[in-house]
Amino acid sequence: MTPASTDAYLDTRVSLFAGRLWPDAALDALIDADDAAVAGGLAHKGLSMLAPQAEQAGASLEQRIVAQILDETRVLIRPLAGEARDFLSFWTARFEMSNVKALLRSKMNGERAAAALARLVPMGAFGRLDGEALAHAEDAGELLRRLEAGPYAGIVRHARRAFEQSRDPFVLDAALDQGYYEGLVARAQPLEARFGAPLRGLMAALVDRINLVWLLRYRFNYGLPPAQVYYLLIGARYDLPGARLRELAQLGALPAVLAALPAPWRARLTGARDIPDVFARMERAGAEQALRVLRGHAPPLARAFAYLILRERDLRALRAVLRGHRLGLGAADIRLALQRAPVRLH
Amino acid sequence: MLRPEPLYRIQLVLLASEAQDAALALARFGAFNPAPGGAETLAQTPAAAYREVWLEAEARLAKLLAQCGDTGALELPPDAEAPSLADLEELNAWLKDVWTACLDCHDATQRLDETHARLAALEDTLARLERLDVDLGRLLRPDSLLAVRLGSLPADNVRRLNEALALSGHVLSRFDQSGDQVYAVIAGPRARHDDVRGLLAQAGWRELELPDELRTHPRAARGWLESERQRVEMQSGAQCEVLDGLRGRFGPRLHEARQRLALAHPLSEAARAGVRGQGGLAALTGWIPKRRLAALRATLDARFHGRYWLDLREPGPREVADVPSLVRYPAWLAPFVPLVKSYGVPRYGEFDPALPFAFAWLLLFGAMFGDVGHGAVIALVAAGLAPRLGRIAWVGVAAGAASMVFGLLYGSVFGYETLIEPLWLSPLHDPIRMLMLAVGFGVGFIVCTLLVNVWNKAAAGHAGEALFDSGGLAGLAFYLGAVGVVASLAGAADLVPQAAWLAGGGLVVVAVFKWTETRATPGERALVTAIETLETGIGLFSNTLSFMRVAAFSLNHVALALAVFTLAGGLGAAGHWIAIVLGNVVIMALEGAIVAIQAMRLMYYEGFSRFFNGDGTEFVPLRIVSGEG
Repeated sequence: MTPASTDAYLDTRVSLFAGRLWPDAALDALIDADDAAVAGGLAHKGLSMLAPQAEQAGASLEQRIVAQILDETRVLIRPLAGEARDFLSFWTARFEMSNVKALLRSKMNGERAAAALARLVPMGAFGRLDGEALAHAEDAGELLRRLEAGPYAGIVRHARRAFEQSRDPFVLDAALDQGYYEGLVARAQPLEARFGAPLRGLMAALVDRINLVWLLRYRFNYGLPPAQVYYLLIGARYDLPGARLRELAQLGALPAVLAALPAPWRARLTGARDIPDVFARMERAGAEQALRVLRGHAPPLARAFAYLILRERDLRALRAVLRGHRLGLGAADIRLALQRAPVRLH
Repeated sequence: MLRPEPLYRIQLVLLASEAQDAALALARFGAFNPAPGGAETLAQTPAAAYREVWLEAEARLAKLLAQCGDTGALELPPDAEAPSLADLEELNAWLKDVWTACLDCHDATQRLDETHARLAALEDTLARLERLDVDLGRLLRPDSLLAVRLGSLPADNVRRLNEALALSGHVLSRFDQSGDQVYAVIAGPRARHDDVRGLLAQAGWRELELPDELRTHPRAARGWLESERQRVEMQSGAQCEVLDGLRGRFGPRLHEARQRLALAHPLSEAARAGVRGQGGLAALTGWIPKRRLAALRATLDARFHGRYWLDLREPGPREVADVPSLVRYPAWLAPFVPLVKSYGVPRYGEFDPALPFAFAWLLLFGAMFGDVGHGAVIALVAAGLAPRLGRIAWVGVAAGAASMVFGLLYGSVFGYETLIEPLWLSPLHDPIRMLMLAVGFGVGFIVCTLLVNVWNKAAAGHAGEALFDSGGLAGLAFYLGAVGVVASLAGAADLVPQAAWLAGGGLVVVAVFKWTETRATPGERALVTAIETLETGIGLFSNTLSFMRVAAFSLNHVALALAVFTLAGGLGAAGHWIAIVLGNVVIMALEGAIVAIQAMRLMYYEGFSRFFNGDGTEFVPLRIVSGEG
């Protein structure tokens, strides 16, 4: 495909897919709806496979949601090649990282291979790991060594070394997460130069939000020293560069950190009570940013990335609603668990 | 040979404790394709645990064999029994112990390698410190206010660690690098020493373990380093002996484990499809060829002496899509089968096109590339490559033979048209006749494919499509009528009114059928009907003309040869023959490949696409060893 036809394809596809996004009101209505209405609403948005009636043996709700995201990503990247394809493909690698973590936890808990395999999210064409072979590793050490010989060697190598020193599962998880997002930033950098502010804005919203929430969590929930907190954050140069993160990591309380943020962030987070509240506000800001890119005249790749961010946000919310229904929770409890603030474009 | 064999769906019910032997007997029987079933009445999955243990044991065995080497050819005694679940668990536990021992050896070897590297680095470090004349004992004093660490970390992490350490009042100073490892000193206030412990672990920092002997002046430490190096060398030798010992000690038992896992494979494989059970009973469900029923009963009687219940039935109309296809081919046809299967596997009950494919493909190849000399070379080269290519080489031999036959008919030898008298005609001397014959062949070919499609649809129970669809009898009537009209207009017949009625009637029936089959608004139905009916006519017309390429390529072959001769004619004696030889090589390699692909394309697009769904499931019999032929 020529670049022009690739752009036309991607633009059209994203515009068509954008019709599947859930307006806040529709999602809110779903909370109060009965099973039949939920199934109808899901079918209308092309998500019948998530309906409670479509529960298949062996495929959890999480697995079906990921399958849907992978399927849509597969359609979007069809005409792409090179760095753009690599970037959007790597965006799906988060799910494979979750599989890696699930496998590592199962090995640390001494679980059988079949139990670990049942929990893995099928990655389809995006899968780069041999789950079957990895699940049959004897222990976490062997598993890490096998992973180090695979496509995620760069991410796993540091994680293994850190884990060998501490034998602490937290260290392992944190190193894998950090390695993954630094890989994403590295893949985004050449594209940001090509596609300009929209893609950079999306990446900045994503990475800065993750860095801020991790910083707060590590510092005040886990009580880690500032130096270690700073070390665990994603190295990137967006609105919260390294120097600013070092300053923030040394502050002793949540309000102090929020007060030391750049002005636009302070306005957004004024009155935030706790870390989940900070997360919800930042997540809403990220969704607003993505919606602006999706509805504006941004390059098609940025629009595709914005769509994937919003789609995943929707599907996460749907998962909360469906789980709430299944557990028989009341509408108020589901809304509380959802933590989804309505998105408004300014 | 022209359609998959009729099958029975069987359910073999027997004691769950004998399920592994039943699966083994079915694998030895060699014609049982496991399939899911029995979930309604038999709620349990008694073989699931067996499969899980088998998979674990198989994975461990594979790793052990990779570590310790192969144990020789696998021979299974004909009366060997499959291990029970308890036996399998015991075997799995033993394999785990051995693999853990191997892992320990492996880890120990790795540790020794690392110790080697560490000692080498330490020696380098000492060399540098010797020049600095620093007393490590004083530098690393535990009661000093300054806490100092010596160690290494990945080079990528240095910058960030340095930034992070600054937050705790520490500094990092690198003094050496080996590969991607940087050797550094970290110093900071002892009071904040614990603050950086987690950080250093996260950064992959490895402390250089400095023994007391080294905590002295570097010159005094060198002697200790020498003795340490000798000790590690000795350990390294001992380690190799342990690994060799592992191979010698466990080799025979690993071979036995391979045998037992091979015997356990059938039930594990059957469990993948789903062995159901209830109470103390297990049921294996699957497909067998009807003709092998008596043999199956004899096998089961010999093994279980009546301690089983065999339920069987014909496949139901709704499950035809799930029934596997088992087609037996004679040896001479087998080389062509992969070419058909690359398009797809026939559904159960569908027409299998392998036999007509072989004949039609050879006919088309020969007609497009008729030359005695070229055919002989192709046949000889293919026969010569047979040991390397296997039976697919015989497709080349047959293609060469077909080319030779048509070469005799055309009177062509290495492009020369005058060496032998054509038994029929030279294409270049009557191209119009060749084109007419090619189109005539195409008409016959398409009529055959439509008839096969009618048969397939009727066999699948789709009577409406068989009679009224564009690929059914109505489409055939339209096609024959249209051919009659064209032939009459060309003067070959005098049937215009009758043929026009036949074509018109066929097309109307197709249109009415499309209308009734389309589920949409009236406007959309009208549009779909019009377009699909029009597509029927255009498709059949263009598909027929597609066969003109058969004549075109036969002419092309002669034309290419003429071009080579013209080129050669302008050269001297030596150049002439070089040009002739090279030209013929190019014709055989280039045109031969193009013609082979064109013949394949005609078969796939003008033939298979009309009647062959290709979405069947191949009959895969249960085997003792996975992948066994």
